[in-house]
Amino acid sequence: MTKSVIQPLESYRLAQYAVPVPCYICGSENTFDSEFCAHCLAPLALAHQASSQGVMPRMIAVIGASAVGKTVYLGMLMDMLSRLPDRLQILARGAFSITLQQTTLSALSRCRFPEKTPNDPDQWNWVHCQIRDGSKRESFELILPDMAGEAVLQEVEHPHSYRVVREFLRKCDGVLLLVDALKIAEGGRGQEHFTMKLISYFSELEKNTKHGWQEQPVAIVFTKSDLCQECADDPANFAQNHAVGLWQQCEQRFNRFRFFATGVAGTCVSCEQRGEGRVNIPLRIEPHGIIEPFEWLLQNTLV
Amino acid sequence: MGTTKCKNTARHNKPFWPRWIYFATGIAAIWGGRVIANDLLMLAGCIILVWAFCLMIRSDRRACSDCGKHNWLETPDDPAEEDEAARPLAACEHEKAEGVDDYEALIDQMVDQSRYALLLRPQIVSSMTRVLFDQVVHSLDVAMALVPDGEVLLSQSDQTSSDVPSYYDAPVDVPGRTVRVQRFFLDRYPVTNRQYYEFVAAGGYEQVTLWEESVLPAMLDFVDRTGHAGPRYWKNGCYLKDKENQPVVGICWYEALAYAGWVGKRLPTDAEWVKAGCWPVTISTTGRFQRRYPWGEMVDRNRANLWGSGPDKIVDVDKFEEGVSVGGVYQLIGNVWEWTNDDFRPEQILPENATLDVPLKSIHGGAYDTYFDNQATCQFQSGESALARRHNIGLRLAIGVCDLALASAPAAAPETQESSPPSAADEENLAAKDIVTSGDDGSEDVIAEEVSV
Repeated sequence: MTKSVIQPLESYRLAQYAVPVPCYICGSENTFDSEFCAHCLAPLALAHQASSQGVMPRMIAVIGASAVGKTVYLGMLMDMLSRLPDRLQILARGAFSITLQQTTLSALSRCRFPEKTPNDPDQWNWVHCQIRDGSKRESFELILPDMAGEAVLQEVEHPHSYRVVREFLRKCDGVLLLVDALKIAEGGRGQEHFTMKLISYFSELEKNTKHGWQEQPVAIVFTKSDLCQECADDPANFAQNHAVGLWQQCEQRFNRFRFFATGVAGTCVSCEQRGEGRVNIPLRIEPHGIIEPFEWLLQNTLV
Repeated sequence: MGTTKCKNTARHNKPFWPRWIYFATGIAAIWGGRVIANDLLMLAGCIILVWAFCLMIRSDRRACSDCGKHNWLETPDDPAEEDEAARPLAACEHEKAEGVDDYEALIDQMVDQSRYALLLRPQIVSSMTRVLFDQVVHSLDVAMALVPDGEVLLSQSDQTSSDVPSYYDAPVDVPGRTVRVQRFFLDRYPVTNRQYYEFVAAGGYEQVTLWEESVLPAMLDFVDRTGHAGPRYWKNGCYLKDKENQPVVGICWYEALAYAGWVGKRLPTDAEWVKAGCWPVTISTTGRFQRRYPWGEMVDRNRANLWGSGPDKIVDVDKFEEGVSVGGVYQLIGNVWEWTNDDFRPEQILPENATLDVPLKSIHGGAYDTYFDNQATCQFQSGESALARRHNIGLRLAIGVCDLALASAPAAAPETQESSPPSAADEENLAAKDIVTSGDDGSEDVIAEEVSV
């Protein structure tokens, strides 16, 4: 005996599968229902957002060594912009764009730093937002990923190990290069060497066949400057005195760069915690110099 | 770009070529007008040319201080280049008016220096005339607010405004500790630059007896931007222009302590500071109503100078009148943090079992750049190194009622003044210090012990 069953013919799904969705970062083709790009692990939500908006977002990279403060800077920047509508207005595209802000601010409000960003690109927080200049009423779309410092280092040391890093840096319109002012002030050269490697890496990517990275704006941001008064007073002078190699690299490779100093924690203490070793605790949150580098970068990106 | 020796390379980064566009446009218009024989176009070209020239002249063209290269430098907004105020005449530099005896002149001078608390010590009051006594008490009444005795709850974890997801660290849950404080006076306003200037001008930094012995080696660092003794952000031993009535900042805990000793007061304890702000009301043996902010339970950004609510800088001490406490104390929340006498107790902030490498001193109240509302409550305590001279930490002073001889006023004005005026050494010794003792029941009593002259 046979039993007749009505089986819906979802041929439209086949049609959707037939149309590939190009990843916005690396351009590789993916199926329409993939969450992450199969090739670079960037979220395909970026591609969907871009296609639905009908505009091509600009991209700005926030990079630096591990534990330099990329997550804190980015999360704080997003939150401050959302609270200061007169200066720059920000409108998050997609719920995923608010996750970074939420986790960072939740931690900081309780005097904790957010947890370390995992190395796996599919666990990174991406921000896709619309930025509107409060006075000029110009708006544009922007993508900012919170990339793990160790992943960036891995890509610099072993190119093509993290495709998403390479592809993003190749396409981005400007770079916020974060450097730990405290480690520089302490005399350690590791931070400076890593930053020089990073500059060397991305400035040699084939962004523009004629000029390379020479004409791209680069903001070198000294983080944790609240604990280093010399840096907070004059970051350019601080770089010239304490990070000469970095200074020379910038002079030789970029036409548009500027040094900034930023800080989020008013005071930070390092304490021994049983079971976890040494942990850094911010005793209060007093952000300084967060928006300025971003603002400068936008102005120079738009030129 | 400038040479590699130039400090101002970042400023040189400003594009130079757009400034020539105006000239080019003017010349092009003149040339075009001449070619097509259009006088109007030529006239427009001339106007553009003149305007461009004026614009260039007005611009801030000058030689770079480092590389000597002429370039279009942006106007620096470094606060270090702000003008310093015309040096005011300190009270100790005033000439004595005719017909006023030395004793009265000294009293006036001490009142002008905000050192009235010294004059209200029992040893001094007994030798004062009624008129002078009333004058000094009036000064005290204007400058300080009375906070009644009672219990206050401290170190209570404040999680009400924090929406912490469960996957994050467990919230710091510290049971509150009850502290009993005696009646005391608290400054209505934070100590201003002008008030602190009196201390500097009177040689406060040279009076070794005012300073703790352990900090003497560090005193060479207690200088301003120009190397003179004084708060960190001053110049030439004086505060900057238009900052006379702003709270003094850039002083470490030891400088605050020395100033307090000089004016005959002391730094408030944590319990006293919180009590003045929270103004607790005990409604039963177990129940107590204690507010989070001096004005109530909810943060109101119109009442305090916090991040995003004020002009993003320190304001005068008498601003934000709506944020006054029940007892009439201004700016307990916002504008600048305030040093207190106690050590920073890390239980509220630090994870359990965590230990600090170096002891910190406690600060309260939040500042103009405090970002989170829950870090600007009366209960919230932060810490800072005792030697730190931060841009947003000032001070406010207190004195116990039991330290003052307010009840033993002189009966009548004597014809002649027989007793000698207080000497400088007496004044220094008159500083009172508080001793906090812990009771068996876990509560703490703040009792004042006066050091005999």
